[in-house]
Amino acid sequence: MTIAASQHRTQNPLERRYALLGVLLIAPTVLILCAVIVYPLISAIYLSLFSIYTPTLKGSWVGLDNYVQVFGSSGFWSALGTTVTWTVGTLFLQIVFGVAMALLLNQNILFRSLARSLVLFPYFVSTVVAVLIWRWLFNDLYGILSHLLIQFGVVDMPVDWLGKMPNAMASVIFVGAWKFFPFVVIAVLARLQTIPEQLYEAATIDGAGVFGRFFDVTLPQLKDVLTIVILLRTIWDFKEFDLIYLLTGGGPVNNTRTLPLIVYQQAFGLNQMGVAATYAVAMMLVMLAFMLIYLYRARRQSP
Amino acid sequence: MDSNSIWLRRTLMSGISRRSVLQGLGTAGLAAGLSLPLAGRAAAADPVTLRWWSPQASPDQLKMYQTQIATFEAAHPGVKIAFEPTSDEGYPAQLAAAFASKQLPNIVTHLPSFAAQNYYGQGLLEPMDDVIKAIGEDKYFPGANDVYKTADGHYCGTAIGNTAADMLWLRKDLMQKAGVDAAPTTWDELRTACQKMQGGGIYGAPLPYGLNSMTSLIFIGFIHRAGGQIFSPDLAVAIDSQPTYDALEFYKSMREFCPPGATNYSWGESLTAFVSGATATGIYAGRVLANVTSQNPAIADSVTCVTYPTISKDVASWTFNDFPSVFIPKDIANMAETKAFAAFLFEPKGYVPQLLAAPGHVLPVLKTIAEDPTYLADPIIQKYKAEVNLMAGAAAAGKNLGYETDKHKPNLKANEIIASNVIAELVQRVVLNGEDAKATVGDIAKKLEGLMKA
Repeated sequence: MTIAASQHRTQNPLERRYALLGVLLIAPTVLILCAVIVYPLISAIYLSLFSIYTPTLKGSWVGLDNYVQVFGSSGFWSALGTTVTWTVGTLFLQIVFGVAMALLLNQNILFRSLARSLVLFPYFVSTVVAVLIWRWLFNDLYGILSHLLIQFGVVDMPVDWLGKMPNAMASVIFVGAWKFFPFVVIAVLARLQTIPEQLYEAATIDGAGVFGRFFDVTLPQLKDVLTIVILLRTIWDFKEFDLIYLLTGGGPVNNTRTLPLIVYQQAFGLNQMGVAATYAVAMMLVMLAFMLIYLYRARRQSP
Repeated sequence: MDSNSIWLRRTLMSGISRRSVLQGLGTAGLAAGLSLPLAGRAAAADPVTLRWWSPQASPDQLKMYQTQIATFEAAHPGVKIAFEPTSDEGYPAQLAAAFASKQLPNIVTHLPSFAAQNYYGQGLLEPMDDVIKAIGEDKYFPGANDVYKTADGHYCGTAIGNTAADMLWLRKDLMQKAGVDAAPTTWDELRTACQKMQGGGIYGAPLPYGLNSMTSLIFIGFIHRAGGQIFSPDLAVAIDSQPTYDALEFYKSMREFCPPGATNYSWGESLTAFVSGATATGIYAGRVLANVTSQNPAIADSVTCVTYPTISKDVASWTFNDFPSVFIPKDIANMAETKAFAAFLFEPKGYVPQLLAAPGHVLPVLKTIAEDPTYLADPIIQKYKAEVNLMAGAAAAGKNLGYETDKHKPNLKANEIIASNVIAELVQRVVLNGEDAKATVGDIAKKLEGLMKA
């Protein structure tokens, strides 16, 4: 007889009723989680074992053939490389811009409240609208960016921002950073406001300058929040679809085609839902691996 | 009993014979025949809503659709039409999701004929034979519905218009200024003309080099204009041939005459480049006429068009016509009302204004409409009579990937091939990346074979 079973027998009816009540109270949450997370996950894995024509959702069992096809194709590895480049590039800029802006907004500057509100604008504006604005800015014939560069004599001809490498990737990374850095600002600014002022005073007395105070006081204090921010933003950026699709459509020559774009094209362009699900599952595995490594390292480094 | 039978039964029960409804009264009669079953519906509590999808949704066109909708709704109390715009780039995904989730539009218009063939081949569309009969087969131009004929002897859709989508648009003022005496008829002449006209902030041409459907559709035309084809008549991959290399070479040589951003151009950007005066030539359908008239009237008197030049005078012209269609998904609710609405779309009172919302862009497929005085009286149709007639002729003889030549079988995979962007990828790899043409074409041929087998 196990200890648990023994304890269960020694529980009085009231305790058992409380336990039952606990199960009942938690059941809706578990059911909802199953419906929105477990079911889609199992469904995606299940679909990945079939060859399915999207419009009819009819297909045949192919077992692991889709995985062999996906992992054996250069397209997957090239898209994975592109996805990592995009994610690392845009995340780096988001963190740099976000922390810098949060530091600025933490100072006693004029119109600070207004500035704090305005800085959130890119994050709240719809991606479609943001992309339309940027596409106009990037436009070769009428865009202000090329116009200014020509005016200042930096270039002779309009710059091809979105149709040529490495410009296309750089543009996508920059627009992504512009769109999502306010999230970093919100999180970091909230943490900055809770750092005790005495720490800065002590550092100043010890002779620390601006950079010293930042690296020895601010950054260590931001470490926890940055860990969470990087974790969340990595997940979100890794699966970013609309911004890249609308800006470049994956071009030129698939050079900005990330994994989510392949999933979309396979599912709804080529009507191969099974292969699309395989890509999605592969994406999830890659992301899971990255996250585990990141969390393991973050935990090891924490005191 | 399928919904089609219900429709016929309702019509017969209304005391009007199907024959008299279809032939005697035409589309109006169809609507009248429908009015009896719908009269009962008017009293019913639940109104019927029909969803209508189309990628042709410019503000002027939307205005005309709303007028057509209002007229139909007024004649059929209890029926509401909800128009939902889709796009040339987005419709494959939207329709795939709609079919999969069974959240289908009742009627889809202005998609290419090969989309209709593709969906019908998968058993997803309703045959349109009775709608065509209701409109009146004899009213169509001969062969207008040929691209919709299916292997089982039905029609998977019907033509709502013709489009000469890759006409060469020219500016006579710039030609004169540059000393270009006549419209180019060969690629060499076109290249020379672009070279002469380029300068002073004006580029030669707005050819698309983007990774999108426009690049694929346009470049297919160039392969044909070099004397080649993508598939043989029995649909074996035939792209790996000298004409494809020639087309790539020409397309590459034109890059220097196109704006830098042409590497990301699709239909909208290409059109705007010509209409705004940023390029000396254009490649587009008749929407140029309306846009130039309203957006850049200063060049309106100088604009003209010809069929796009070929590699040499020995190679016949090939015009891309996407054959804008009307089709109805199978197993939708309210099939009778949907078919009545489909036929209603061709009634002159609504069809003519619909066509004139973009004069010369979607060209009539009904002889009766092409000769209609209201249609012919439109100022743009009047002003550009020669261009519109030329486009009508080119479009009537036009082809697309679903129907490359008269000898070809319908290509049921054309939709997926365009959505896969493999042809655009070919262009980008050779033109932008400078990859070896022969090796790249071979690679793309394998991809096409894979798509045909999938």
